[in-house]
Amino acid sequence: MDNALPAASAPAAVDLAFTVNGSPAKVAVDPRESLLDVLRERLDLTGTKKGCDHGQCGACTVHVDGRRVVSCLTAAVQVDGRAVTTIEGVEGPDGELHPLQQAFIDHDALQCGYCTPGQVMSGLACMAEGHTRDDAEIREYMSGNLCRCGAYAGIVAAIRETARRTGH
Amino acid sequence: MPTRRNFLRGAGAATALVGVETVGSPLTAAALAGDETLRQPYARRVDARDKVRGAVQYGADHVPARLTHAVPVVATIGKGRVVEFDTTAAEAVPGVRLVLTRIPPGELRSAPFIMAGGFAVQGYQPMTSDRVAYRGQMIALVVADTLVAATEAAALVTARYETEPFAVTLDADGTETLLQATVIPRFPDTVMGDADAAYATSPVKLDATYDGPPQHAMPIELLASTVEWQGENLIVRESTQNANAVRHGVAYELGISADRVEVISPSAGGAFGQKNSFQMHLGPLALAARRVGRPVKLVVPRTQTFHAGSFRPASRQRIRLGADRSGRMLAAIHEIDAQTSRHDLFPMQYTELTGRMYDIPDFRGRHQLVRTDAQTPGYMRAPFEHIAAFALESSVDELAYKLGKDPVALRLANDAPTTDPISGHPFTSRHLAECLRRGADRFGWVDRRPGVGSMRAKDGTLIGWGVAVGAYKAATAPATAVLRAESLGRRRCRVTITVDGHEMGQGIRTAITNLITGNLGVATEDVVVVVGDTRGVPPQHSTAGSWGTATALPAIDAAMGKLREQLGLRPSGPIDLPAAMSGRAPVELQARTKAPGQPDDVWDRVAAGGAAGAGPEYPAFTSMSYIAHFVEVRIEPRIRRIRVPRVVSVADCGRVASPVTAVSQVRGGVIWGIGATLREGGEVDPRFGGFLSASLEDYALPVNADIGDIDVSLIDKPDPLLNSVGVKSLGEVSMVGVAPAIANAVWHATGRRVRRLPIRIEDVI
Repeated sequence: MDNALPAASAPAAVDLAFTVNGSPAKVAVDPRESLLDVLRERLDLTGTKKGCDHGQCGACTVHVDGRRVVSCLTAAVQVDGRAVTTIEGVEGPDGELHPLQQAFIDHDALQCGYCTPGQVMSGLACMAEGHTRDDAEIREYMSGNLCRCGAYAGIVAAIRETARRTGH
Repeated sequence: MPTRRNFLRGAGAATALVGVETVGSPLTAAALAGDETLRQPYARRVDARDKVRGAVQYGADHVPARLTHAVPVVATIGKGRVVEFDTTAAEAVPGVRLVLTRIPPGELRSAPFIMAGGFAVQGYQPMTSDRVAYRGQMIALVVADTLVAATEAAALVTARYETEPFAVTLDADGTETLLQATVIPRFPDTVMGDADAAYATSPVKLDATYDGPPQHAMPIELLASTVEWQGENLIVRESTQNANAVRHGVAYELGISADRVEVISPSAGGAFGQKNSFQMHLGPLALAARRVGRPVKLVVPRTQTFHAGSFRPASRQRIRLGADRSGRMLAAIHEIDAQTSRHDLFPMQYTELTGRMYDIPDFRGRHQLVRTDAQTPGYMRAPFEHIAAFALESSVDELAYKLGKDPVALRLANDAPTTDPISGHPFTSRHLAECLRRGADRFGWVDRRPGVGSMRAKDGTLIGWGVAVGAYKAATAPATAVLRAESLGRRRCRVTITVDGHEMGQGIRTAITNLITGNLGVATEDVVVVVGDTRGVPPQHSTAGSWGTATALPAIDAAMGKLREQLGLRPSGPIDLPAAMSGRAPVELQARTKAPGQPDDVWDRVAAGGAAGAGPEYPAFTSMSYIAHFVEVRIEPRIRRIRVPRVVSVADCGRVASPVTAVSQVRGGVIWGIGATLREGGEVDPRFGGFLSASLEDYALPVNADIGDIDVSLIDKPDPLLNSVGVKSLGEVSMVGVAPAIANAVWHATGRRVRRLPIRIEDVI
């Protein structure tokens, strides 16, 4: 168990059991650890990105029980017994892209790609929430996810098109 | 417990260096850029598939076995020295392996500043002395088994200081003002004719001062490194624009051969100039990794990046513009004071833009450096041009109003279509007039009512339409390309290119792929591009100054020419490489190119890790890219919030090497312009030093809801002289001129001439 905290670490580690992308996970965490750091540093799920660690950029967005959260402000202990979905869990079982991922490619809704996992996770939630009635609403509900490269127009177009195609 | 891989769905989910795939229907430059001369099929962004899957590896995405984590401790005074550390409590935190404070002499030396012949973002390495040069400077580094332990311990390190007076604003007591031409003679003032005399006798005169705030690049990927010693060799994973300088910088600091350092940086999560040199955390980090005998990862916290990273310096520009009554510009005097640090002289080039934007016969520029107690400023996107254009193009707008001229017509009348006013040499290509005409047409400029405040919506919303132009050097750097062709049967041939270049999101992999597929007749998915990796032959000279495409593509073009020759194929025109390579052993060859006029010893400079960019002035010509921006602002009648619902931008970047990524890059540059004009101002506190607005909450970047429609159009005419491919520059010119276009639109809407950025609500109340 090279993932376990050293025995001398204080405060006492907390045993967590939750699912990540459909697979069960058991991890002993420091109660101060964020979900983001547990995903990245313990479970090797580095698709979820750290952009600020303060809930200000959205790069670390994941789903907990289907709702989007910023994983940097989510204590890992909060997901005990819950289902976490990260960008690695979005594509189909044979690696086929989700329609929203394909739409991001088609609309060039990214440049450096660093904020992109968070944008995709927020975009999926934005559609599930029904916040896709028009471009203004999509923009508003995607404004928690910063894109410094400035791919906003493509992101809106990708969500608009996918929502229309998939009946959201 | 499942293995780590069980969380990753799909085969090969974690391999991410290069994904090449054509997605969607083939595109043509004609379809995207409105030009009928090019009909080659172009790839969409070739690494997009990996990016939407979160499969690309950035600097902090490597999780080696036995990894430890580092967290910096930063100074809490504006300037002075550390008298004493107390690390007892920090060292008692379980899991802490090292608390590194002042590094003993002989273990680490300060790498020289990149603009003083060195490698580093600044020529001052924190922790090698007791100095605190600025608030937020790293003074200690904690390494622990977990990030939480390192974070806890870092907070427990205390320092006793001796404070000294400091100055953080241009006007503060204790600054030191230096004439750049004297202190950095290789950056002399720009002088043509006798501007003072010509200005004095000009029938129309404008004289105004413009203030630019410090601004921060803030790519969403943080400054981060994962370092690992393998015996005597150091492996650095760090997202950078300049793997060569990172390699040589850390080697210099540690006193080891650069041959013992490898830098791996396949993709950067945005850079924008911030990542163009060796960063100051890396030396102490490498030292710490050696001491603890384990790999160490450092992710610089976002709040610390405001002091750890370079920034666009605060500036004050006085611009005097003289014209005759027809609007013909006769003289300009452009005087700039801008911030530098105590420890470095950051060279300014504001007048490279203002001296060439128009055909002004008498021009005088003057740069003054103002030493302040901050980290050294740096090359944030369009570092000088953005704010120089704000001053110049606001003045030009003012001139148009003063004379009752249309702002577009006035600019066209003062165009310098063929000759660089500064050097007297020809421009390689200049389609600025076409940018203006096409932009006016696409925007519907003809419907503009010139009167200030004359365009109002029914609800009282003030509407303003503004225009401004911009330019940016078409720079070039030396590059080596290694090409390997390997038959995959009669119909397929894999081409692997390793070249000096870095992918920061601008799309260099896609531009390279397009060049190869178009030239060699191979499929997009059979092109493999390796950039940002020092393990090959190309040293990975920096990708900055918008020279990436115009540097890498000519070297690859030369390599493809050699390949054709070696295979006995015709030197130009379509070929079938898969057929030609069928049944043959793999071919590997290399070619290198440098900027026109660069001496042969430039290769030695690159091999030693130095910077070697050239342009816009070359021995026989000057090469620049151009853009025109048309902006609509809407100002809400009560709260006076300023919105930008619509922008039209037309750019001349030479041949468009990658239509999909080029259009996106311009759109991104426009958004940078909107942010720089309406949002981004670094706040400094003269009482405490440092940047106050040190978070993404306090330093507001544009969000999705801030951005409306941005219509981008590219002239797409190959440059005939600069290089064999016909490409110029694009990444930075896209931002230049957005700020004055917005400010001019605000004037048109309100009659307020705002000369300080960012423009805030209180400016238009």
